[in-house]
Amino acid sequence: MSERKRVLIIDDDPDFVAGIRAILDSQYDTVVAYNPKDGWDALKKDRYDLLCLDIMMGRGAEGVMMARKIRSDKVLREMPVLIITGLREQIAFLFPGQAVHPGFVPVDELVEKPVEPELLLQKAAALIAASEARQGR
Amino acid sequence: MVVTSTARRISFREEVENLLHAQEGVSLVRCIQCATCSAACPAVEFMDHTPRELIALINAGMKDEVMASNTFWTCASCYACSEKCPEGIRPADVMYALTRYSLWRDTFNRDWVAPEFSRRFARTILRTGKSYEPGYAPAFIFEGGFPGMVREMQMALRLLGKGRLPLIPSRMKRIRNLRAMVARVLPLDGIE
Repeated sequence: MSERKRVLIIDDDPDFVAGIRAILDSQYDTVVAYNPKDGWDALKKDRYDLLCLDIMMGRGAEGVMMARKIRSDKVLREMPVLIITGLREQIAFLFPGQAVHPGFVPVDELVEKPVEPELLLQKAAALIAASEARQGR
Repeated sequence: MVVTSTARRISFREEVENLLHAQEGVSLVRCIQCATCSAACPAVEFMDHTPRELIALINAGMKDEVMASNTFWTCASCYACSEKCPEGIRPADVMYALTRYSLWRDTFNRDWVAPEFSRRFARTILRTGKSYEPGYAPAFIFEGGFPGMVREMQMALRLLGKGRLPLIPSRMKRIRNLRAMVARVLPLDGIE
């Protein structure tokens, strides 16, 4: 049996983290960082097969900054990034009716909260498989 | 604070501190409850919990009480508390962190003036690059009843007399540059 894949979750909401962890733990080893700084440290320290990233953290859209930083890093850019976000709801108060910029976040997949468990597992498996195929593993 | 799949769930205080991770200041556990922040605060009489109480509630993990409080929406952002805290805590940053938290989790009270005022302010800045006070007046002038309205109008007339209240809104030059900058950090379509 092949080794279990490792997933890093960077999200500041412990309720949401507990939820997606309950889903992902059945198939993956999950590690959590509750702020972008700890997340970045974790990424630099270990290798992960998938990153689940939140957008609105810390002072604002720090998940976006982090996604850009990952994409410009020679090693980390190979890792698939999945964003699970309630962004549309979060910005609806300040800017009602305004759409989210489609090309704003350089990630592999963006899923809106709430996410179906089956869909999350499917997306995670597909992203990891695509990444491995890309790297010829 | 990286944790693995067997680690404990983080406390409410840690949640708040995660919102402050990139800012100056020290952990809220350093608070000695001296109330210097509350004594320095010019807006404390309008708050249901003083800044000192709010920090104590956060440290005690009393999330519901904290999020129901009007304290962080009442903060005037004068930073007197942050200047005077003997322990180096920055209560004004905590107030901003809690407003972000309540907006992102959608837990704020929509009847309060402050969130609506913030919304109008942000939209005005994004449209023109400048604040335009008379533009906010129609939405809030009735908040203090008839006496409040008279006071506001007297204040407006005095400001007008001194040339401190513009009648016509002005726009900053090269507003496109500001919007391009905002578009880098705010994930909205249609800003640029």
